[in-house]
Amino acid sequence: MTARGHVKVEKVAKLHGQVAALKGVDFDIRPGEFFALLGPSGSGKSTTLRLLAGLDKPTRGRILFDGKDVTALDAQHRDVAMVFQSYALYPHMTVRQNIAFPLEMAKTPKTEMAERVEDAARKVSIQHLLDRRPGQLSGGQQQRCALARAIVRRSGLFLLDEPLSNLDAKLRLETRAELKKLQRSLGVTAVYVTHDQEEALTLADRMAVFMEGEIRQIGSPAEVFARPNSIDIAGFIGSPPMNLMKARLDNGTPVLAGRPLPLRVKQQAGEIVVGVRPSAITIGEEGMPARVDLVENLGDNAIFDLSFDGGLVRARGPDPLAFAEGQQVAISFDAKDIHLFDAASGHRLEAA
Amino acid sequence: MPVAGPNIAGEPDALPGLTGHDRISARREKRFATALLAPAFLALIATTTFPLLFLIWISTQRMDLAMPFMDGFAGVDNYRQLLADPRFWRSLVLSLVYTVSTVVLQVVIGLALALLLMKMKRGQTLFRIIAILPVVLSPAIVGMVWRSFMLTPEFGVIDYLAISAGLGSQNWLGDPTMAMISVIVIHTWQWTPFAFMVLLASLAALPDEIYEAARIDRAGAWQRFIRITLPLLRPAIVMVIIMRTMVALTAFAAIYVVTAGGPGTATEILNLYAYRKSFTELSLGYGSALAVALLIVTLLISAVLFLMRRERAA
Repeated sequence: MTARGHVKVEKVAKLHGQVAALKGVDFDIRPGEFFALLGPSGSGKSTTLRLLAGLDKPTRGRILFDGKDVTALDAQHRDVAMVFQSYALYPHMTVRQNIAFPLEMAKTPKTEMAERVEDAARKVSIQHLLDRRPGQLSGGQQQRCALARAIVRRSGLFLLDEPLSNLDAKLRLETRAELKKLQRSLGVTAVYVTHDQEEALTLADRMAVFMEGEIRQIGSPAEVFARPNSIDIAGFIGSPPMNLMKARLDNGTPVLAGRPLPLRVKQQAGEIVVGVRPSAITIGEEGMPARVDLVENLGDNAIFDLSFDGGLVRARGPDPLAFAEGQQVAISFDAKDIHLFDAASGHRLEAA
Repeated sequence: MPVAGPNIAGEPDALPGLTGHDRISARREKRFATALLAPAFLALIATTTFPLLFLIWISTQRMDLAMPFMDGFAGVDNYRQLLADPRFWRSLVLSLVYTVSTVVLQVVIGLALALLLMKMKRGQTLFRIIAILPVVLSPAIVGMVWRSFMLTPEFGVIDYLAISAGLGSQNWLGDPTMAMISVIVIHTWQWTPFAFMVLLASLAALPDEIYEAARIDRAGAWQRFIRITLPLLRPAIVMVIIMRTMVALTAFAAIYVVTAGGPGTATEILNLYAYRKSFTELSLGYGSALAVALLIVTLLISAVLFLMRRERAA
């Protein structure tokens, strides 16, 4: 089953009249991979998923499943499974009938069908709810029913459109972990749309970050987190996001608030942006003088809002009580934690 | 004890049942409500219940305006006569044929139009306005229009079309079968928009994602219609069937204007037979018995329909 589920998207664009929802994206999804499409709303990630499902047709470009061009095929003939954000359960059918529906449409024999429905229901632990109707289920149970309807297909490709966004916070965390286990055990390729970077970072093997109808970066969550390729991505990934501070280059050395930073780039001069993750900022005795403006106590750690000559930064520290609001401190960060971006183009600059 | 003020009226009751204050105020409220309802209730009794009882009373009388000297109490004689009257059975059959065919046609055509309209990208509003026009016309006017402009041999629109199509001029209202078909078509023409509007509203309320999910689940267009659309529309369809059945059973004006039950008794549905018996042949007693029979038939059929509705819902 892992051999199936290779997806290739080539220069796919989608126009709604004059508006480009998707400006031409390329990516490859390997069999068995958990691939997240991450981006803010309106960035084209859901459009991409609908194109993969065959619910909409791309204006340009090609979509290939396992090397076969499926661009012109309707959803009905693509053999993909999908979980909708609203679950889209059939309200007039019982849970059992809902799960059996895709099998019925594929003319599966009765005995096999009953077995597979039971099996799918067991995998998402709703076997005791099979005779209820969707209206009698809680949100979390409906979500499981939608999942069961998708896995009963044994399709090679699993599409998930923000499946966790209608669940409450606690249930979302539980379901997230289960979803990952389920995908592993089934060995299917999963494409997962989300606007929640935490979901993408925890679930995905690889992810594509969408912005304004384009893919800005593709990579494993660790890669994207460690080496964001533009200011936009740097500001989008991470919570709280990366501190971005204006600076300039002096003979290849970045200068922040009048202090040279301990690294060099090839470029000699110009305006740049220095990025440092909140967790990489050390608050202590040495470094640039700064003042603690605000302490956000998160229990086992804290976010400190600090002002210094170069502007405002946020730092994450382990002890919420280490510093008080109004206290004078000093901040510093290691050269390896510094990200540099060209201020004009937004591209990442590599240290020499 | 202090008088119950508005400040404690909303407080939750610690004890089950009503306290003294509450019982008194509840009784007062009930009396007040009765006083408010009484005028409407009396008007209703005077205009519906009393005439109905009076009708049943007349149906037990022999009352012939042509032969007033024979009048008198007849008991169930009228009903005995009715059960042996072939014209009654024939009119009952015609009523059922008329009702079943018009209701089925209205639902089928109305649903088809609603499905088509959902696919239309432009002109939906215009189509709705045009579609609703027949409903707002008086059935008597509709009958007149069809009799004179549409079906008249030689210069009626339908007849002209029939001639143009090579079918030749037809005696639309003179031929018994044709006359029945004509009155069915007229009723369907006038009332299909009603079914169409109700079903369109229900269709528009169905969420798109369910259809998208069905496409993903490999259901074809026909399967989506049978397995998704029809079951979800069932409450609306049953409601339309109930409402239209009751109206069709008691249809009168359009048929009266177009054929007056003729030719002969070819379109004489039960309602028209009761009317003719009472006001043309002036047998008020027997006519009333026919009207009561129609009432019973209507009640039975609607009871069955409502039972079906409840069973499906459960």
